[in-house]
Amino acid sequence: MAFAENHINTDVPEKDVFALHFLQTLSNLSTQNPFSSPDKKSDRVKKIKKAAYVSMARAAGCTDRLWSRALLQRAAKRNNKIVRFPRRRKRVTWLRRRSNRRDPVEEAAAERLRNLVPGGGEMKTSKLMEETAHYIKCLSMQVKVMQCLVDGLSPK
Amino acid sequence: MSGRRSRSRQSSGTSRISEEQINDLIIKLQQLLPELRDSRRSDKVSAARVLQETCNYIRNLHREVDDLSERLSELLANTDTAQAALIRSLLTQ
Repeated sequence: MAFAENHINTDVPEKDVFALHFLQTLSNLSTQNPFSSPDKKSDRVKKIKKAAYVSMARAAGCTDRLWSRALLQRAAKRNNKIVRFPRRRKRVTWLRRRSNRRDPVEEAAAERLRNLVPGGGEMKTSKLMEETAHYIKCLSMQVKVMQCLVDGLSPK
Repeated sequence: MSGRRSRSRQSSGTSRISEEQINDLIIKLQQLLPELRDSRRSDKVSAARVLQETCNYIRNLHREVDDLSERLSELLANTDTAQAALIRSLLTQ
């Protein structure tokens, strides 16, 4: 039973799934507030940025992942605000066996990582690394999708 | 005495993840990092280095999302390009 829990899986959906979710979220945005409306520029950028993170979390399977659940919860809480990843103070100990001889650089890097991955403050280190791998894959997928859109829209 | 031993055995078997699995995760992370992916002596890269590079990479990706959001916002607001109209019609269907 512990075996299934420890099984490491960092597979992510195809790029199309991310594109679809992003376009859908953008579409909802534009019906609420057309992109050509004289909105403040910084507000528009924030909305698009939020759309990027939220749609990424949805594409990644909403609540299947700790990071996407944390991200969506935070986005809902801070509605109309930029999605941010605040620093978490809660410390989670490493494996005791390992921490006895862990070097301080490694420990500091793990702490920084906790602040970068949504919900990272509450994860055990092994979980943190698994979630980080998944988060990185999804983020780079999202960046690719956005880059494609920008390239497609840019005047030739 | 015996109670202590059985507890430690139990915890290492179930709730704890072995050193080997941690190392697997480190390697998995390393393979995702452009900076370290292609390093020849992959076994020489320390866990600390992998974690540090992971942080840097995530930060770069966040910055890219920022930049691309800004560019997208400009492009979507710009009514002149035919592609924008196309995408907009796609979005507002």
